[in-house]
Amino acid sequence: MLSEESLVQRLSALVGPEHVVAGAEVSGYAVDGKTPKAAAFPGSVEETSAVMTFASAEGLKVAPWGSGTKIPFGGIPERVDLVLGLRRLGEVVDYVPEDMTATFQAGTPLKDAQAVLGQKGQWIALDPPHAERATIGGVLATNSSGPRRLRYGSSRDFLIAISVVHADGKITKGGAKVVKNVTGYDMPKLYIGSLGTLGIIVDATFRVYPVFPVEKTYLAPFPTAEAEQQVLNKLLDSTVVPNAVELLNPDAARRTTAQAGLTWQEGSYGLAVAIGSVPEAVQAQIAAVERLCREGGSSQGHILEGTVHHTFWQAVGDFSLGDGQQAVLKASVLLTQVAQAVRMGEAVAAKAGLSLGIISEAGSGIVRYYLSGDRPDRFQQGLAEAVSTLRTFAQATGGSLVVLEAPPDVKGAVDVWGSVGNTFPLMQGLKDQFDPQRILNPGRFVGGL
Amino acid sequence: MIQDKARIIREIEQIVGPKGVVHEEDELRVYETDGLTIFKAMPDVVVLASTAEHVAELVKLCQREKIPYVPRGAGTGLSGGALPLDGGVMIGMNRMNRILEVDYDNKRAVVEPGMVNVWLTNAVGPRGYYYAPDPASQIACSIGGNVSENSGGVRTPKYGVTTNHITGVEVILPNGELVSLGGKTLDAPGYDLLGVFVGSEGTFAIITKVIVRLMRKPEAVKTLMTVFENLEDASNTVSGVVAAGIVPVSMEMMDNNSIVAVEKGVGAGYPTDAGAVLVIEVDGPRAEVEALVDPIRDICKKNNVREVRLAKDDAERALLWKGRKAAFAAMGQISPDYYVQDAVIPRTKLPQILQQISKFSEEYGLRVANVFHAGDGNLHPLILYDSRNEGELEKADEMGSKIMKACISMGGSITGEHGVGREKREYMPLMYTDDDMEAMKKVKRVFNPDGILNPGKIFPTTTPDVKVGLAGQRPIVEKVVGQM
Repeated sequence: MLSEESLVQRLSALVGPEHVVAGAEVSGYAVDGKTPKAAAFPGSVEETSAVMTFASAEGLKVAPWGSGTKIPFGGIPERVDLVLGLRRLGEVVDYVPEDMTATFQAGTPLKDAQAVLGQKGQWIALDPPHAERATIGGVLATNSSGPRRLRYGSSRDFLIAISVVHADGKITKGGAKVVKNVTGYDMPKLYIGSLGTLGIIVDATFRVYPVFPVEKTYLAPFPTAEAEQQVLNKLLDSTVVPNAVELLNPDAARRTTAQAGLTWQEGSYGLAVAIGSVPEAVQAQIAAVERLCREGGSSQGHILEGTVHHTFWQAVGDFSLGDGQQAVLKASVLLTQVAQAVRMGEAVAAKAGLSLGIISEAGSGIVRYYLSGDRPDRFQQGLAEAVSTLRTFAQATGGSLVVLEAPPDVKGAVDVWGSVGNTFPLMQGLKDQFDPQRILNPGRFVGGL
Repeated sequence: MIQDKARIIREIEQIVGPKGVVHEEDELRVYETDGLTIFKAMPDVVVLASTAEHVAELVKLCQREKIPYVPRGAGTGLSGGALPLDGGVMIGMNRMNRILEVDYDNKRAVVEPGMVNVWLTNAVGPRGYYYAPDPASQIACSIGGNVSENSGGVRTPKYGVTTNHITGVEVILPNGELVSLGGKTLDAPGYDLLGVFVGSEGTFAIITKVIVRLMRKPEAVKTLMTVFENLEDASNTVSGVVAAGIVPVSMEMMDNNSIVAVEKGVGAGYPTDAGAVLVIEVDGPRAEVEALVDPIRDICKKNNVREVRLAKDDAERALLWKGRKAAFAAMGQISPDYYVQDAVIPRTKLPQILQQISKFSEEYGLRVANVFHAGDGNLHPLILYDSRNEGELEKADEMGSKIMKACISMGGSITGEHGVGREKREYMPLMYTDDDMEAMKKVKRVFNPDGILNPGKIFPTTTPDVKVGLAGQRPIVEKVVGQM
């Protein structure tokens, strides 16, 4: 194994000494408490490739790093020798507004990409948590998405091409910069959500969408999650075309509405339905949603527009319970089981004495549980119980539950991913093919891959 | 050719029963080609599977005996994807054609792979739902084939292709094991095996079940037939609609040769002296759809439109679409044979590529009928030829490859929805480096390690083709030993 000094020297030769971090400063790049020997920030795809060629020759374990917003995601790494930071890969590679395709380097903050596209009235249809800081590469590697996936799908639905630096430094591309393409296997999808364990994403091409002339939200209070489920079923069976349908438990509804400056009746669940279209269609559909909510037992709701609308959705994306130990779990369940998943979460949190915020992309069957606790001993045990109970529930009907964020000691006590059943040999096979030395994020992916 | 064929057939009969086996040469002829008839290859035996267990047992038998095998749906594919290039066993999936479950509340249907695409929409239509991907062959093609090829259709500009509508598949791997990729719910943990499976052209595993999204029918639909003097004005209209931030369901274009063929064939009411017909469809909430019609009209006017006809009712709308969907079949009206290409270009390059195709047409002395998905830049130039004339097929083939190369040079793709299959495998290096293809082969090796499932597809092969005889218009049947 290289000494730290020669490691820094070698990396400096590849990316320039000013782009290598080592010594005390590198502790800021620890992954689950595992501190790398160095962090390197290549300035080009070629430099990224050179760093990986070097890392594979030396057997260095590498953790890719965008802006760090999703670093708590995944299992605890076996070892981290080198953090490979992508922040200098921030170029707009290619953007033809009339073709509605755009290519960005992986280190580009999503927000910056949206700003470029926004000048032409377009956007990448992704609104993941921490959207203010997340990078394109990180969003893709963690398959992060947000409320508007109901309308547009997730990254897999509009990522059309990708370039990747492999463990051995080879650079390959998959897909094409056209909106329809079936030439060869659909490689972009393989890298989405692979947490950098198959290769390092260096650029990505998206099919982009026009921004709607208007988007507004109808936010309705409900006495129970079950009442919301009924309305959800009816809404999804109607001809209303919502951009997002979000269910919030009373705590999440209280906090997010407070941030948006809205009054909220304590103890009420929230159902937020965002509608995007031309003004007259927004108005007609908001009215239809309001009618459905009223018939479903909701009292007077809010129509959110302009700054309030924007602030509310930002509060949803950046939701956090504040102080104490925190964890975020994400369940994927059948659309008809959202209310039940909410109830299960409430029961398990109450039993364990944990605070609970729930934000559910109800129209997509995604339920996010935000849990926190003041007492570390109880937190760890309570969380393990929550993971077990909620996972059993989700898996019973073919769903899943993953831990998105948790302190390392808690992660050590639970299976972050859950079982992937008899598909595991295929996943292991892919890892063996793409990274036979296991140098990319070893231990962080499903089954310890 | 299978060694010890009689014994193998006996074993196959034990799995599926004698009625599920076809091995007489005259009966096998039906299976020697798919929708792309210029390629032919004969299986040694065709087995009609009725259950996933049948498929598993057949796969185990083929793997044990090292017999190449290939699944086949309805045989409507347009890239030779279901051809048994090395002979062996063809597993016909048409008997597995049931709709197993329709779950409206969860917006899913579970179907068998041999189910015909349009049956699902027919089944769920009365309840206000549909299955979105609608290839032109939807009255015949099977959902398993759609998943394998990642088929498109005319709704892709707004609703995407097959991969956007599949949430799960159940497959039999070459080791005989049944695995589920995805399911009714989203975001299964781990690698997106489902994502890379869709569009794998039958080279990874054999599909035995498919879980699809059901879509709610929109409140309103408006279909406009717009008539232009030339392709350029029509192409600029397409760009204009896109630039205006409108996402139509469809923008389908036909040139004069296509219009004439369609009118002779089905009489959809297209003006036969027009240079181009562009069908534009928008759907969604009524107020939104109504607000889009006038801006679209304005864009058409700016681009010298001759006529805009808004379908008055469902019958008129169906007629406009009938013409477009029957376009390939109608080519027989104006040419004995045609060869269809499937390349894609960035949408803004439409006028350029159409000019280029027209130049090639003059150069080769072959007419071209352009019928295409203009809304997503997916071209279908139909090169018209007469196979009775010496050398015309070869000319059509050469011209086709020039079109593909021109599309790639404009930043496009060699296939948008038909697949690479046997037909375009030699063209893969136009788009991908050896390293790019090696990454793909790594995935194939995981699923299909010895390559005897559907050999000879997608990747260029270094094994020389051994031409074993004239097949139809040209010698094409070949020996390809699993080259991976």
